[in-house]
Amino acid sequence: MASVTIRNVEKSFGAMKVIHGVDIDVQDHEFVVLVGPSGCGKSTLLRMIAGLETISGGEIVIGDKVVNDVPPRDRDIAMVFQNYALYPHMSIFDNMGFSLKLRKRPKAEIEAKVKDAADILNLTSYLDRSPAQLSGGQRQRVAMGRALVRDAQVFLFDEPLSNLDAKLRVVMRTEIKALHQRLKTTSVYVTHDQIEAMTMADRIVVMNAGRVEQVGAPLELYDSPANLFVAGFLGSPSMNFIEGRYLRDGDTAQVICANGTALPAPVVSSAWNEKQVVLGVRPEHMHLADGGEGAAATVDVVEPTGANIEVLADLAGERVCAVFSERHPFRPGEKIELGWDLNKVHLFDPDSGNRI
Amino acid sequence: MKSLNGFKPLAMIFPGLLLALFIIGYPVLDLANTSLQEVSRFGQLRGFTGFDNFAEVFADPLFWESLYRTAIWTVTVVGGTLIISLPIAIILNDDFYGRGVARVIIMLPWAISLTMTAVVWRWALNGRAGLLNATLMDMGVLAEPIEWLAEAQLAFTVEIMVGILVSIPFTTTIFLGGLSSLPQDSYEASMVDGATRWDQFRHITLPMMKPFINIAIVLNVIYVFNSLPIIWVMTEGGPANGTDILVTYLYKLAFRFGQLGKASAISLIMFGVLLIFTIIYVALVMRGENDSDAGKDE
Amino acid sequence: MSSKLKKSLIYWAILSPLMVVILFPFAVMFVTAVRPRDELFVFPPRWGFSEFRWGNFAEMWVKTNFGEALFNSLYVSVLSTALALALSIPAAYALSRYRFRGKGAYRTFLLMTQMMSPIVLVLGLFRLMVALGMVNNLNSLVLTYAAFNMAFTIWMLQSYFSTIPRDLEEAAWIDGASHFTSLTRIFLPLAVPAMAVTGIFSFINGWNEFVLALTMIRSSDDFTLPVQIYSQVAGRFQVEWHHVMAGTVLATVPVAIVFSWLQKYLIRGMALGAVK
Repeated sequence: MASVTIRNVEKSFGAMKVIHGVDIDVQDHEFVVLVGPSGCGKSTLLRMIAGLETISGGEIVIGDKVVNDVPPRDRDIAMVFQNYALYPHMSIFDNMGFSLKLRKRPKAEIEAKVKDAADILNLTSYLDRSPAQLSGGQRQRVAMGRALVRDAQVFLFDEPLSNLDAKLRVVMRTEIKALHQRLKTTSVYVTHDQIEAMTMADRIVVMNAGRVEQVGAPLELYDSPANLFVAGFLGSPSMNFIEGRYLRDGDTAQVICANGTALPAPVVSSAWNEKQVVLGVRPEHMHLADGGEGAAATVDVVEPTGANIEVLADLAGERVCAVFSERHPFRPGEKIELGWDLNKVHLFDPDSGNRI
Repeated sequence: MKSLNGFKPLAMIFPGLLLALFIIGYPVLDLANTSLQEVSRFGQLRGFTGFDNFAEVFADPLFWESLYRTAIWTVTVVGGTLIISLPIAIILNDDFYGRGVARVIIMLPWAISLTMTAVVWRWALNGRAGLLNATLMDMGVLAEPIEWLAEAQLAFTVEIMVGILVSIPFTTTIFLGGLSSLPQDSYEASMVDGATRWDQFRHITLPMMKPFINIAIVLNVIYVFNSLPIIWVMTEGGPANGTDILVTYLYKLAFRFGQLGKASAISLIMFGVLLIFTIIYVALVMRGENDSDAGKDE
Repeated sequence: MSSKLKKSLIYWAILSPLMVVILFPFAVMFVTAVRPRDELFVFPPRWGFSEFRWGNFAEMWVKTNFGEALFNSLYVSVLSTALALALSIPAAYALSRYRFRGKGAYRTFLLMTQMMSPIVLVLGLFRLMVALGMVNNLNSLVLTYAAFNMAFTIWMLQSYFSTIPRDLEEAAWIDGASHFTSLTRIFLPLAVPAMAVTGIFSFINGWNEFVLALTMIRSSDDFTLPVQIYSQVAGRFQVEWHHVMAGTVLATVPVAIVFSWLQKYLIRGMALGAVK
């Protein structure tokens, strides 16, 4: 197994630059998730690691070898494709054994390895079938199995779960994670689904518009997002942002909204006094307050999810979302007071987007 | 592999390109050259004569008659084909008992070469013993057999009918392709909005089919304009050049009368006309592709 | 009466006049082919005849040299198809898999040659074959059919190739295959049906072609079927119509069956490539 180092990598299609100098270090045994909205360049980056796209600038190192000019077959990687890319004219067994066959391994070894992988993935009884005879979830497993038999240095996953229904996706998510905990193969996993990223990753790389926004452990990113993009991208429902003027008064601070409402805010450097800031509050960090310590809000819509109640409310002229685990009997139009734990909210610079 | 791949794809298209350029390009150049020269009946070039051949063509009443008949032939065959094919395609696109059989029968003329079709019709239209006469006399429509191909006007009309008949399958196919690509939900939405079937045809089917109708018109014009076998086999342009269209006249000039200079000139003129139709066709196809590409980008 | 049944009856009623006209020549063909010779020209003309003369076919085979023409047609159609496919497969692969400079111009060129009709160029083609010394040589037809068919075969193949997911080949590369291996083990096996269908249509085109065969082939030993049958009819005082019709039955029916069977692929190919 090996580490993957991406150094100042760039990619252009013709005159259009889609990746602008990206640096990522994937440690040996690590499970790294590249996450971002569609078109952010995450899949292109993965395909560059795989050798399916040429590298316009910078270098990619697998183990201790620069692989820029190494064809995919010599990179010793395995990849799970979004549409699985199973060979439709081969049986499941041949699909999984194809790579070993190409490497001219002895028949007995191929058989043993495919059987092992099939055991792990519960595919043993399907080995003689063709891909067309399997369900979506089973095909997904075959795609995994094809990667497993390889003992490759690095596993690459390109949105492997996006074609599965919601329930199966959760199951496979857990299986992939369990598999990684067992095999510890260095893995790079691309997804646009932030829940997949949060639940599976050792470290997450958040990408946007061809650049890396932040790299870190899931909870680290969740608790201390570097900027507005990361703060808004991770978490569902997503973080509330309220813009206003920052006012610090000794050990307390407030954000004054456009309509004059004063919101409690954390204390930061007094250099920000009288400047515009963005207050970021996660819905689950909101609570019902009383006695004027919070801010007045009007309930618009109540959405019970079963586990929680999500309330969309009007706060200082902004639509905010609050999540409660208690079953408060909210009604539309009801006046409530919302407060938040000052240790858990963030302030952002509206110009740069960076966290203060 | 989205990047430019330089040499490899060019090497892959090159052999085919070479053959096409040689077999199609060389004759065009040769015709251009020949049309400007005096040519013996045996094909020897005897020096440049400028546009004499063209002048000769334009002074030839048979050329103008053939050109006129080509226009009639093309317009009536293409027009007749379109008018018949659209309702047929709409019927074949609907679900009804025996649709599979109906499709096979309607497509049958396409499966047979024009030459064979024309040979069979030539016999079926035989003035003495043709089975068309037999049928019409059995039905009491005719009292006496008719010499269908002996008189130019009648022969040409019959040839137009056969021309329409053999063009229907291809045209229906294009329309079927178009109809099957129309979004079903537009129809469902319009039904909810209270549209009648006629409203649906006028406001949904016809506008959405327009690109396919355009393509069908252009392709049919090209095919019909160039179609030799029907007229050649049935009447050879006769009697008395009365059913000649440009292609049959051209073929006679070149391979019967040995007037190679004149024939080259007509070839070039036809090539020019064909080029114009082709450019229209290419523009239509490219426009269609751009539209669907734009659609893909959401 | 169910509404579908009613609809079906109406549709069949609308279609029936056209179907009668379409089936009419087939009926003429069969009825004439099996008719005794002396019942061809009777007055008044009639459909009926006294007995089925299946012997007409055997007689025709010998008298009209049908076997030789059949062989010539097979030779020309098979070889021109093989040549067209051999040149089209790499070109179609390049079109469906690569971006390259001049691709737009090449596609335009293909569309234009697809529309180019041999009749307009027939004199130039004849002079070309004279220059090459290939008049009266079936190979002249092999070359020209292949050249004129190629635009169609490339379009058709390209539109099918594009439906074979690119990531199958990519998966093969990652599995350790070279470009050549992924082509032979993954791509080509999946493309076989497309190549077969395209080949059959190219074959039928060659089988049915008339103008070039009429022009390039001068000696009756080298006639292809359409020209051979045409020559039984044209410029003869006495036409043996029962032989001619027997010939057309043999020359067209097998091809018509194959064509009807494969026609849906043609429709799909056109929907994928040329028309849409």
